[in-house]
Amino acid sequence: MNIKLVLKLVGRVLLLEAAALAIPLTVALLYREDPLPFLLAIAIVAAVGAALSALPAKSQFFTREGFTAVALIWIFTGLVGALPFLFSGWFATPMDAIFESCSGFTTTGSTILTDIEALPKGILFWRAFTHWLGGMGVLVLATAILPKLGIRSHYLTQAETPGPVFSKLVPKQSQTSKILYEMYFALTSAEVVCLKLAGMPLYDALIHSFSTAGTGGFSNRNASVGAYDSVAVDVIITVFMLLFSINFAVYFLILTKKWREALASDELRFFLSVVAGATAVLTLTNLGVYGHLGTSLRYAAFQVASIISTTGFGTADFVLWPQFSQLIIILLMFCGASAGSTGGGMKCSRVLLLLRGIRREVHHITHPRSVKVVKLDGKLVSEGTLHSLLVFVGAYMATIFTAALIVSLDGQSFAVSFSAALTCVSNVGPGLEAIGPSGNFAAFSGLTKGVLSLCMIVGRLEIFPILVLFSPSTWKR
Amino acid sequence: MDIVIVGSGKVGFSLAEQLVKEEHNVTVVDNNEEALRRAGDQLDIMTVRGNGVSASALREAGVSRAGLLVAATNSDEVNMVCCLTAKDLGAKHTIARIRNPEYTSTIAELRRSLKIDMAINPENSTAVEISRLLRFPAAANIETFCRGRVELMGFRLQEGDFLVDSPLYALPDRVKKLSLLFCAVDRGGEVSIPNGSFVPKAGDKLYMVGRPDSLDQFFRQLGRYAPKVKQAFLVGGGKISMYLAAILDRMGIRLKIIEQSEERCRLISEKFPRVTVICGDGTDSELLESENLAASDAFVALTDRDEDNLIISLYAMQQGLSKVITKCNRENYAGIVRSLGLDSVISPKFVTASNIVHVVRGLQNSQGSVMNSLHRIAGGGAEAMEFTVGPGTRHLGVPLKDLKLRPGVLLAVIVRGNDIIIPEGSSFLQETDRVIIIARGGGVLDLNDIYASEFTAGGAMK
Repeated sequence: MNIKLVLKLVGRVLLLEAAALAIPLTVALLYREDPLPFLLAIAIVAAVGAALSALPAKSQFFTREGFTAVALIWIFTGLVGALPFLFSGWFATPMDAIFESCSGFTTTGSTILTDIEALPKGILFWRAFTHWLGGMGVLVLATAILPKLGIRSHYLTQAETPGPVFSKLVPKQSQTSKILYEMYFALTSAEVVCLKLAGMPLYDALIHSFSTAGTGGFSNRNASVGAYDSVAVDVIITVFMLLFSINFAVYFLILTKKWREALASDELRFFLSVVAGATAVLTLTNLGVYGHLGTSLRYAAFQVASIISTTGFGTADFVLWPQFSQLIIILLMFCGASAGSTGGGMKCSRVLLLLRGIRREVHHITHPRSVKVVKLDGKLVSEGTLHSLLVFVGAYMATIFTAALIVSLDGQSFAVSFSAALTCVSNVGPGLEAIGPSGNFAAFSGLTKGVLSLCMIVGRLEIFPILVLFSPSTWKR
Repeated sequence: MDIVIVGSGKVGFSLAEQLVKEEHNVTVVDNNEEALRRAGDQLDIMTVRGNGVSASALREAGVSRAGLLVAATNSDEVNMVCCLTAKDLGAKHTIARIRNPEYTSTIAELRRSLKIDMAINPENSTAVEISRLLRFPAAANIETFCRGRVELMGFRLQEGDFLVDSPLYALPDRVKKLSLLFCAVDRGGEVSIPNGSFVPKAGDKLYMVGRPDSLDQFFRQLGRYAPKVKQAFLVGGGKISMYLAAILDRMGIRLKIIEQSEERCRLISEKFPRVTVICGDGTDSELLESENLAASDAFVALTDRDEDNLIISLYAMQQGLSKVITKCNRENYAGIVRSLGLDSVISPKFVTASNIVHVVRGLQNSQGSVMNSLHRIAGGGAEAMEFTVGPGTRHLGVPLKDLKLRPGVLLAVIVRGNDIIIPEGSSFLQETDRVIIIARGGGVLDLNDIYASEFTAGGAMK
């Protein structure tokens, strides 16, 4: 284990984050707020970053180092993000600040705040900006702007980019990262413009665009997007939430004028059918709540997009919906967005492959000597990929249940304990009952908040980097 | 440059590795998922799974935008079809690994009809590399062109050499009739291109380009040919040995080849009647001794197994042979091997990959006509380039005496089919010729750049 090089990388990324902290600092200064929380945070992060990146290290860097580095960088990032929150004095305990920061960077969007609107604008800006950084990934950013990391950088981005298979857009990793961030930036800007045109103040438009882009869900309003009660805003955010849950490789194909390949993506079709199906079902089952078909459609579409993209914005409190509707919401939380997007969850491609695997298994039982391959986008999916997919789904479930077990120590109901674990691992945000769209996580104990913070990172990195970090064999010589 | 490599085998991987180091955008296509994953894990490249001859896989790899496609699968036929398909899809240049000797005789026709810009034969390249080491054991800078048919090398003149203080036009006839040309001279860091009236001085570093055997002849006349390899001992009678035997035989080096398979032995004996072929186990020290290994000047270990090659090379070294060359495919262990005292270790995949990298460097400088390779010589003071004359090249068929070249540019060699021509006033260029150009100070990116400016506008001046 080349721990020195891993720490050196952590240091580099910390320096980058110190630079990123300058942006909320500027916002705080613009609104004539106290810049001290940010100045202190920048000083600490820059000092630690500089110290770590000055470490002399050998250049051996393999998968093990890559996974460990990703896991450590994310844990450090969660802590770094908590510093401004902590220094601002608005968070009761350090654990609360860490929970909020992890929730931000992992684009979960769960909060422990009860009165969001009371917080300074700079702090709320940083809270949303962590979504934007965490959405596409801090390491993807690092490989884009620090191309000379001098290591096999795809080990890093590979662990950070969600999905069953990792593929680059162009041969060079640094170039791939750059293209990803360019598309990300362009889409985010487009949303800011749209929201501004729909009548949102610029500050709110930025906050909500960052949140949508990272599929996070932090809002600067207590009632989330529902506070604007505007059909235009609802529609814009619904569309952009869906756009950000599509694999960015699809956009690259469109940019390179490969329309047919882009639209032939199995995952895209599956994702859109799930969205359409869930919206249609929820519109009908919620008809009793809203009475009007159009209204029911509006709230169903927004909630479906918000949950499947794992954003977690709310315009309606689905806790008040019929049980059937709530279960659909839970299923959407499992499913999640597409691979290679900024969203969380198990990812549509995995669910799709899982369904195809099940179909094959049934076929195999009825025809024991049959040979059948599983395909995705017309291409053969190797048995190795299928195998690791099954292991992933198993590990995902195990993580959720283990976390739910610990959360249940708080004495909350089954629905609360289980949905808290699920929503954190899937990076969605709201859960059921007390932690629903209008509730928050403030009532949980420190232990629970810590476990859930870790769950968010585990879910964001798709489990294995954190398992590698805590596995004894990683640290043996 | 965007480069697509088809085949992630030994050569493909080694090539990708070197090209990534030179900052190229490399995409590797292979059918074997395991090989692809290994390559993708270790190198900053994109991988595409698929058959190299399928248009869809090539398209996915971005062949239409690629500046170069290298087909390096283990099937010559796949490589040829792959290059043909790639050209149709829009690849600018193609290189195919073609190793079957049956194709070698018709390679020129194959290349033309399949639109392959360069055919590379790993075994032949390795043999050429080995023969260079054998010919000039101490030579440092030798560059080869046209797949070894033309060489360029530099040597320092010493007091008393017959060239010193006599203009080049006054050289004795025995030198003049050799197929070589003095193409550059480095006098105290000042690089120039000599003409007939140039007077060499002791201490000059002279560069000459020409046929390998003519260069040998010249060194013999200069009395610098020692220690000459008179007899070489080859263990292993595979493809490399065959190519090497052909080269060494032509150079007049006596050869002993030990090969285990009787069938191969017969084949070698049939092709090279002058070679002593011994059927037996080359790793058997008793056999080596009974064949009087110690009486040879050079030893080349070319069996299929790296380990055997290393062991018998060590044995040969212990027997006091001055030149021992070892074929070893695993370059990772080169350091250990050197520490054992074996300094001439050749890795066929590395040789092949380096040859292709040379071409890529050349391509970067080329626009219209195909630049096959570029070498910097004389400490970077001049460049030696190999071009293929294309239909867009100007002044085809016009005798050189009617043309004016840019100052600082020399048309050094014309390779036409199997002929190597040192240009005279009556020489001319024609399509598909390969030419070697020496240029001082760069600026030659295209073959048309060699003409003086008044000639670039159009027709020849009569």
